[in-house]
Amino acid sequence: MRMSHDHILTSQAGSLPRPDDLIEANRAREAGETTDEPHFQQQLRAAVTGVVRRQKECGIDIPGDGEFGKSMGSKVNYGAWWNYCFNRLGGLDLASGPGLYAQPPKRSRPGDLMLTSMADRRDRNRFPEIYGDPEGPASTGPRKAHWPICVGPVVYKGRDAIQTDIANFKAALAANGVQEGFMTSIAPASAVRIANRYYKSDEEFLFACAEAMREEYKAIVDAGLILQLDDPAIAENWDMINPEPSVDDYKKFSIVRVEALNHALRGLPEDRIRFHLCWGSWHGPHTTDIPMRDIVDVMLAVKCQGYSFEAGNVRHEHEWVVWEDVKLPDGKVILPGVVSHATNVVEHPELVAQRILRFTKSVGRERVIAATDCGLGGRVHPSIAWAKLDALAEGAALASRQLWG
Amino acid sequence: MSRDHILTSQAGSLPRPEELIEANQGREANPTAASDERLKGLLQAAITGVVRRQREIGIDIPGDGEFGKAMGHKVNYRAWWSYSFNRLGGLDLAGPGINAIPPQRSRPGEIVLSSNADRRDRQKFLAVYTDPEGGIYTGPPLPQWPVCVGPIVYKGQEAIKADVASFKAALKAAGVEEGFMTSVGPGSAARLANAYYKTNEEFVFACADAMREEYKAIVDAGLILQLDDPSLAESWDVINPEPPIEDYQKFTMVRVEALNHAIRGLPQDRIRLHLCWGSWHGPHTTDIPMKDIVNVMLAAKCQGYSFEAGNVRHEHEWTVWEDVKLPDDKIILPGVVSHATNVVEHPDLVAQRILRFTKSVGRERVIASTDCGLGGRVHPMIAWAKLEALAQGAALASRTLWR
Repeated sequence: MRMSHDHILTSQAGSLPRPDDLIEANRAREAGETTDEPHFQQQLRAAVTGVVRRQKECGIDIPGDGEFGKSMGSKVNYGAWWNYCFNRLGGLDLASGPGLYAQPPKRSRPGDLMLTSMADRRDRNRFPEIYGDPEGPASTGPRKAHWPICVGPVVYKGRDAIQTDIANFKAALAANGVQEGFMTSIAPASAVRIANRYYKSDEEFLFACAEAMREEYKAIVDAGLILQLDDPAIAENWDMINPEPSVDDYKKFSIVRVEALNHALRGLPEDRIRFHLCWGSWHGPHTTDIPMRDIVDVMLAVKCQGYSFEAGNVRHEHEWVVWEDVKLPDGKVILPGVVSHATNVVEHPELVAQRILRFTKSVGRERVIAATDCGLGGRVHPSIAWAKLDALAEGAALASRQLWG
Repeated sequence: MSRDHILTSQAGSLPRPEELIEANQGREANPTAASDERLKGLLQAAITGVVRRQREIGIDIPGDGEFGKAMGHKVNYRAWWSYSFNRLGGLDLAGPGINAIPPQRSRPGEIVLSSNADRRDRQKFLAVYTDPEGGIYTGPPLPQWPVCVGPIVYKGQEAIKADVASFKAALKAAGVEEGFMTSVGPGSAARLANAYYKTNEEFVFACADAMREEYKAIVDAGLILQLDDPSLAESWDVINPEPPIEDYQKFTMVRVEALNHAIRGLPQDRIRLHLCWGSWHGPHTTDIPMKDIVNVMLAAKCQGYSFEAGNVRHEHEWTVWEDVKLPDDKIILPGVVSHATNVVEHPDLVAQRILRFTKSVGRERVIASTDCGLGGRVHPMIAWAKLEALAQGAALASRTLWR
């Protein structure tokens, strides 16, 4: 994994805006309409090449494929990073479960935590009028009628899909003369947040997902790409446990999830892997987000080299101070979000530089890669997303000038 | 001033109760309905409520939420300005709509305001601004926009008297000593088509003379007068093409002179100025930097300066105060929570922001505030949660500063 040796490197958290025609093609494919498959694949390839070129033009040193291989069938979409795995995992019934917001709530007790339903999230309960309005500001786009249920052994069946993703992305990197790129894949803890009717325990289900997803992780690393594990569950499950649990209980609950991830990563080179943690990218108040201070150790237990997390929105921006107290182990890097999907206003490059410098002061300039809070695709308007990546690169250049003279 | 803790205030607009919004719809359509007894009752109850709620949250210097300035829709970014259309004589209210006004081109040394539709950030991000789902929607536009067709005179005597009386009653009921009331600055009031005055400057000064009456009424009533003058900062974006900074400073200094003319003889220590770059949820990439206009702002003869410092286009500008000397008797009211995001600021972030300012200008001279009015720009529940975060963050900062 590249480190910031002579300037602050830039990357981003994953999702980028899809071209309109790709969104329409995705919608048609998701709806089961007949589509011209070879044409679609060609369209996808061209889009991936385009999104890598554009990141390079912005000045993003370590680009991704924009998650374009993860189908997004609507302009507003917060779920592609997750939903894509439903088609890559066997053992799921996709067609008969209740919708995501129609699932029954569950109550946790001290020492006995369980995830409640999406509709029962605690921030949601505090601000029902905001979240309850499908047209409201926290709307996350069209909702699927059914949500998967695990009904049999979970196995990985996405081999062709991941090989296509890899081939498209590697071709795009080569076409643009870019050395290093990253590809996202969902972590076990985030993949298992669906109803389970097969495994005896949630942990069993979790480790089964870990085994299955390991194949995807290995494919990405074997292809020479940086693997980014998307695991918001580690932070945002907190909001999904009702009532609010003790921090100790939550850490215990989450460390099991990190162990499952580490199990999935066993033997893979740590220096080719980064981890993305976040508190959920919806435009809500986020008043029930768990503080970084309380979970930073859990995050750092993940056996990888890089840690990407939100630090550019107003609920987490102050948490750079955490790195004044926590020792980042030698050899590790952090990828704080210094521009965010949480506002339409485009970050001023000088603010981006200020934010970067707060982190380099604690962990050193070599160990900071400037990134975004979360993926920008589907969360803000495409032209705003690109303007934010411009600001990110400009701000990193300003910070580099200060740090390297 | 913040003698023993960081005082808190906010920039003006707060969420109106739904029944008031409905009643205002009628009032916007037919201004004479303002005398309606039911509306008066609703309004007084709402103002009493909004002052009480600010007090409960811990806002030391509350406003009336601008409730006297009619907002007829839940999403509304203009009441702070459009209220003046009914308080000024000399306007024909039936001109072309705000986005139908023709653009105008400036030349070096000769600056003119272009149209709203021709704003530079808007032109850069036209796809977002014109997409009803793009996230920048500012509510239903007025179908027609005023044109100045005769001498500008103040005719809002009854309206301001009613505003002042309602607010003073609400302050008294809540046991609050000091409250502020907003009034539009001449530079911002005069951003209308002018078919009467020979020059734009003449128009601005005529607005200054007329609005003086409102300013005086507010100060005479013992309230703090907040002059809302976003035009000082955001007219930059309405000048196309981008002008040289010196030209813009000169252009804007005239507006500050008009403001100073309007407040001549009024006690400076009862007046604060609110400057902002426009509260719509756009990219704001063409906002003029604070460092380029801070001296123009400080030329306004008042004691307090309120400005945006809590959104990502202006948050970095606390550094300006490391270089600019704030005159001894002045105070600043930086925005430390913002309408620009639905995410509620963490109180620790609010405290960090406050401490960046106190380090430069001293703890006594910082009042923690909001970027702009929150009413109409974010959901009411989010607006109130942000004021709570503001008060909590100010308390945290106070603990650090006075321990």
